[in-house]
Amino acid sequence: MAHEALPVLAPAAPEMFLAAAAMALLIFGVTRPNGSARLISWLAAFALVLALLGEFALGGERRVGYYGMFVTDSFSLFMKTLVLLGSALTIVMGLKYNEDRGIARFEFPVLILLAATGMMVMVSANDLIILFVGLELQNVALYVVASFEREGVRSPEAGLKYFVLSALSSGLLLYGISLIYGFTGTTSFAALATLAAGTAAPGIGLIIGIVFVVVGLAFKVSAVPFHMWTPDVYEGAPTPVTAFFSVAPKLAAFALFVRFMIVPFAPFLSEWRQIIVFLSIASMALGAVAGIAQENIKRLMAYSAIGHVGYALIGLAAGTEEGIRGVLVYLSIYFLMTLGAFAVILSMRRNGRMVEGINDLAGLSRTQPALALALAIFMFSLAGIPPTAGFFGKLYVFLAAINANLVGLAVVGVLTSVVASFYYVRIVKIAYFDEPAAPFDRPIAAELKGVLIVTALLTLFFFVHPGPLIGGAKAAAASLFLR
Amino acid sequence: MDNALWTLYARPALITVGEVLAIIVPLLVAVAYLTYAERKIIALSQLRKGPNVVGPFGLLQPFADGLKLFLKETVIPSGASPVVFVIAPILTFTLALIAWAVIPFAPGAVVANINVGILYLFAVSSLGVYGIIIAGWASNSRYAFLGALRSAAQMVSYEVASGFVLVTVLLCAGSLNLTDIVLAQRHVWFVVPLLPMFVVFYVSGLAETNRVPFDLPEGESELVAGYFVEYSAMTFALFYLGEYANIILISGMASVLFLGGWLPPAPVVPFTWIPGPLWFALKAALLAFGFLWVRTTFPRFRYDQLMRLGWKVFLPLSLGWVFLTAAVLMGTGWLPGHG
Amino acid sequence: MILEAIVFYIFSAVVVGAGVGVIAARNPVHSVLFLILAFFTAAGLFILMGAEFLAFILVIVYVGAVAVLFLFVVMMLDIDFERLRSGFVRYLPVGAGVGLLLLVELVLIFGTWEVAPKRLSSVPVYARARLTNTRALGDILYTRYVFAFEMAGLILLVAMIGAIILTLRHRTEVRRQRIAAQLARTPKESVEVVKVPIGEGA
Repeated sequence: MAHEALPVLAPAAPEMFLAAAAMALLIFGVTRPNGSARLISWLAAFALVLALLGEFALGGERRVGYYGMFVTDSFSLFMKTLVLLGSALTIVMGLKYNEDRGIARFEFPVLILLAATGMMVMVSANDLIILFVGLELQNVALYVVASFEREGVRSPEAGLKYFVLSALSSGLLLYGISLIYGFTGTTSFAALATLAAGTAAPGIGLIIGIVFVVVGLAFKVSAVPFHMWTPDVYEGAPTPVTAFFSVAPKLAAFALFVRFMIVPFAPFLSEWRQIIVFLSIASMALGAVAGIAQENIKRLMAYSAIGHVGYALIGLAAGTEEGIRGVLVYLSIYFLMTLGAFAVILSMRRNGRMVEGINDLAGLSRTQPALALALAIFMFSLAGIPPTAGFFGKLYVFLAAINANLVGLAVVGVLTSVVASFYYVRIVKIAYFDEPAAPFDRPIAAELKGVLIVTALLTLFFFVHPGPLIGGAKAAAASLFLR
Repeated sequence: MDNALWTLYARPALITVGEVLAIIVPLLVAVAYLTYAERKIIALSQLRKGPNVVGPFGLLQPFADGLKLFLKETVIPSGASPVVFVIAPILTFTLALIAWAVIPFAPGAVVANINVGILYLFAVSSLGVYGIIIAGWASNSRYAFLGALRSAAQMVSYEVASGFVLVTVLLCAGSLNLTDIVLAQRHVWFVVPLLPMFVVFYVSGLAETNRVPFDLPEGESELVAGYFVEYSAMTFALFYLGEYANIILISGMASVLFLGGWLPPAPVVPFTWIPGPLWFALKAALLAFGFLWVRTTFPRFRYDQLMRLGWKVFLPLSLGWVFLTAAVLMGTGWLPGHG
Repeated sequence: MILEAIVFYIFSAVVVGAGVGVIAARNPVHSVLFLILAFFTAAGLFILMGAEFLAFILVIVYVGAVAVLFLFVVMMLDIDFERLRSGFVRYLPVGAGVGLLLLVELVLIFGTWEVAPKRLSSVPVYARARLTNTRALGDILYTRYVFAFEMAGLILLVAMIGAIILTLRHRTEVRRQRIAAQLARTPKESVEVVKVPIGEGA
């Protein structure tokens, strides 16, 4: 009797390694006495770096595995680099915080590893089924880490909120997937692309399916009007988890979003562009306005993240290779400055306790000038003021939008970034010109210090040598448009 | 037209009804005498005589008991949910009977020779818990409810382990069909290579039928009689019959899965004189005797011990054995139905 | 065949009726029981389509395990469902509006339904003669869909880790049975033989 052959496994080797590492660390942690969280965290970060090396070994050439369900190319290499770095750095950055709060348990890095596995699968998904299982693996891990500080009040609340809303959005996504499958008879991106290239206009059933999937994905990247969970979850979750939330899963969901729109459905650009444009404008506007009134810095970062998602969506709305390059450049710069900003937030400890109010930063320039300088760099960059990296990120997406005849969208982007810069600059003003509040604890943990210095330097001096990043993003964007 | 109706529908229906009766009637007689056997065996081990008044050697005792229960009034407690209350014993009894549809007594002697017989058995036995939960809930009584909760937790826990045991068996047999599973034991009964799994299955069977030493759901010294404390007359009789029918069912399953069903121990002359169904009945009777023997011998488990045994001993053991079996079969190339 | 049609309609009617019962029943336990009935009848429909493996897995997993836990929780919870329903009328307009919208969408979708046989035949359907559907499922589940299958396993692992992290508390005041310690006890360390002179024991 003939059997189906075993699939090609090689492209997913780093994912398999990561999953195996997570299970090995789990067993290792269970068999060790308490207090091994630090060791296991470092081991987990090391495993993430190894997986990253594995991705580099695979390289950017296009490889398809598992009967076409899984693909690696320059795009996946680019996004996985960000995702893996983000996961590894947030594990390391959170060490001290978790120890202070008494939640330094070895399961935390293990869950981050498993979430990272899910995110890598999302980035490489070439089939609707894989898209969904990758997303769910990441989601389930995130529910747990969001409520990791289980003795508190806000953290379980954040986890529960995220769980309920995320489950709802997963339901919508799944409904969309089933509609797409029902109207095309396939779940494979490649087959969908062939189908889309061959038809002039999609049927209304297919359109509704795509809309549902877009809604589900918009929730995961927290684009307005599906952003409601973001501020509460950002504020309630333990800060290292918030930092993790705002980099790795967001980037992975964005990668998934871009691949889903471009690879199978690029021919239908005119059909879905208006949805993306709407999401983009709404996110930019809300991010700019709602951030003004915030007093809690984690909440402020949530609105900031919503706004930045809006800018990145401009590139996707353009739908061109240039637009996708803009998205990738924007996301990597967002990654840098957000990570840096959270390193600052994690350094805000007073008498051994974390503080999160914006006014706690008052007069930081006099008590800790270096930290204040780093904060200023990140805030200027988040606002998009030249010559920081944030300016160049915006520049690339706006240029792409103008070249794709979306001038109005670019104008809205510029206007909202002017409004948003108010609250970023206000933080700098508080740190530099207000009367000093009590100083923060010193010294800052060595891991945090390292992240701070590197991200601040990269953000400030990005313009000196932007070539590698732009080139990588260009190659990655091009790999999506290969037919 | 008439002819077609007869050959297509009426005749198969009549044949099926005949087959069903041919199983159910002997089964009910066996259930009746299992209760008698239980009382006699317990009496023997306690140096008493047991029932010996009604009929010769007390042989008519089960029928006297049945008649008594039949003539009594069915009391439905106030505050009970009447429909659900009555459905529960019916469900329990029905499930104990329908499982027999797939048990083969001899080559071809089976009501429904379906491809996934082993799954059918597993599904039916996993439904058994409903009769008990529903009974406990619908009685609107604390003792009954506690008994039902205990029972549900216990049955679900042990089902996991026995599910893995079934997986090891079907790995060895290469089929989910029970006739094929028996035929796969022509050379060696599965009890030989899978002895630990046989023990796990048998003990899980004790737990799933709520028998001593796992009879906490009805533990009369704590819960009066557990989930059926409020039941009387026929509704009680149905639970009672269901419990004993389940004992016979577990024994029958164990003999099909591990002891070669209708196959004689060796295909040589004195053994082959005895017909297949009799072999099956003998094996099942031996295993059912074990149930009674255990009851007279062992004290009741404590609840945490019960859970510990299920989750921390049986589950890892059976899971490990699945790996081991699969590895050995793959390594030696004995995996059936491959290639 | 007419008999199959009759059975199909009976089963479908029961599924739909049970579905209505789930949301209409006043008692939450009755709702769960209706749900179980719906699962069970759906399994019957599977058998009617010749998908016996799926049918029994549905019964074993959903009816035998998932719904038992449902029932457990619903029986133990002391929720005043009447109070929960009190907002029903207030939210009715919104709910009805959303429902109407979805209905319109569904009508639109079915209006353009075009799962034509020719399109279905263009999809590689896994059908192989003389295979039981258990074997056919196993054959593709562990080859073509092995990645999704393993990922689903990982999701369950994460769910398990999560449940343990969020609920397990090592309580120090609870005395646990240590079986190894019990078995390792010897008479020497637990029994002391004291010779009491006759007449002097207290």
